[in-house]
Amino acid sequence: MGALAHYLEAKGIPTTQISLIYEHTEAIRPPRALWVPFELGRPLGVPDDAAFQRKVILAALSLFAAEKGPVLEAFPEEAPVFSENTAEEDTWACPVGFSPPREEETDLEARIQALMREVAELRPWYDMGLEKRGRTAMADFDPETAAGVLCDYLCGKDIGIPEKEISPAVALRLAAQDLKSFYFEAAISRPGAKTPDSKAFTNWYWTQTAAGQILKDIREKCANEEDRDLQMAGKMFLVPMGQ
Amino acid sequence: MARLSDMNEPQRSHIANLPCPHFDKTPWTTGPELSRRRVAIISTAGLHRRGDRPFGGMDGDYRVIPGDTSANDLVMTHISTNFDRTGFQQDANLIFPIDRLRELADEGVIGSVADFHYSFMGAADPSNMASHAENLALLLSGDNVDAAFLVPV
Repeated sequence: MGALAHYLEAKGIPTTQISLIYEHTEAIRPPRALWVPFELGRPLGVPDDAAFQRKVILAALSLFAAEKGPVLEAFPEEAPVFSENTAEEDTWACPVGFSPPREEETDLEARIQALMREVAELRPWYDMGLEKRGRTAMADFDPETAAGVLCDYLCGKDIGIPEKEISPAVALRLAAQDLKSFYFEAAISRPGAKTPDSKAFTNWYWTQTAAGQILKDIREKCANEEDRDLQMAGKMFLVPMGQ
Repeated sequence: MARLSDMNEPQRSHIANLPCPHFDKTPWTTGPELSRRRVAIISTAGLHRRGDRPFGGMDGDYRVIPGDTSANDLVMTHISTNFDRTGFQQDANLIFPIDRLRELADEGVIGSVADFHYSFMGAADPSNMASHAENLALLLSGDNVDAAFLVPV
């Protein structure tokens, strides 16, 4: 981010920026930066709080008044907390109950079928959430296709999309991202569901769902691939660090 | 939470050890009062219009986001899985604050909002972004932008 500010400013475009990692911005020394104490992925602090977002933006834009730089200021407020979760609640009390697995399936079949049951059970809630909010963050696939790409990979099928110049590694990443988006949007649309904070959702998704388990299985399979892009995708881009 | 000291391992070490580019000098370009400036958002969240090319790697290129793109047509294909996306799912303005800028323009706090905004994918090597950024500076000048608001993820 700071490097971009250097490049643009040097070409005559005045810049100001949000900084999420103080140490990086301090080292890169862009012209104007406002460090904020918010979590990664939330540069303006909190969703659906226009007043707070506005304060952050105005603080960043006010740095244009500085007479010389580099300027690195710290935003003085923490993000407001609206989560229903308490610090002790590591796992979100998600009101989604999934059907138990059937016994006659092989291990891989069982895991795939568990994923497909979850997707089918969440789909109506996703549809209703989409209708209500008018928006989905699913970028490239519908829910069944995203799940299908992941299962096809585990079953040894080719998952690249040559007509869109999407390699197998990129297809895996996009499908993984879309599947997680689907789970979040469906789960918060269930009756009585509270919107979890990011930590609670992460814990639920990666420890309580078949989708999280399938992605961990894929991470293992990728480690044995000859395709270096697939190796890298499995190692870095499917499952968060520490999961 | 974006304090390194609040992060869990291995993410803390990963982020702390990311190489930072070095610049001998900080460039400085002046402009008019904020109330006369034209503002564009430059994101590094890997945002693009639905149907535009997803971010595929470390090319350092960017995507164009017209100012009238609806929230449902704004998607994110950043390669990292180590930051929260649920906030963006709830409110695109958390990362791409186009509605907030319009409000500020309507109130006369800023001069105007650019017609076009842009997103890079922040995990790319900054040196790969340099030539794209120089090209982008020309586009911003063409849109009369004199305030680039850079928003990371």
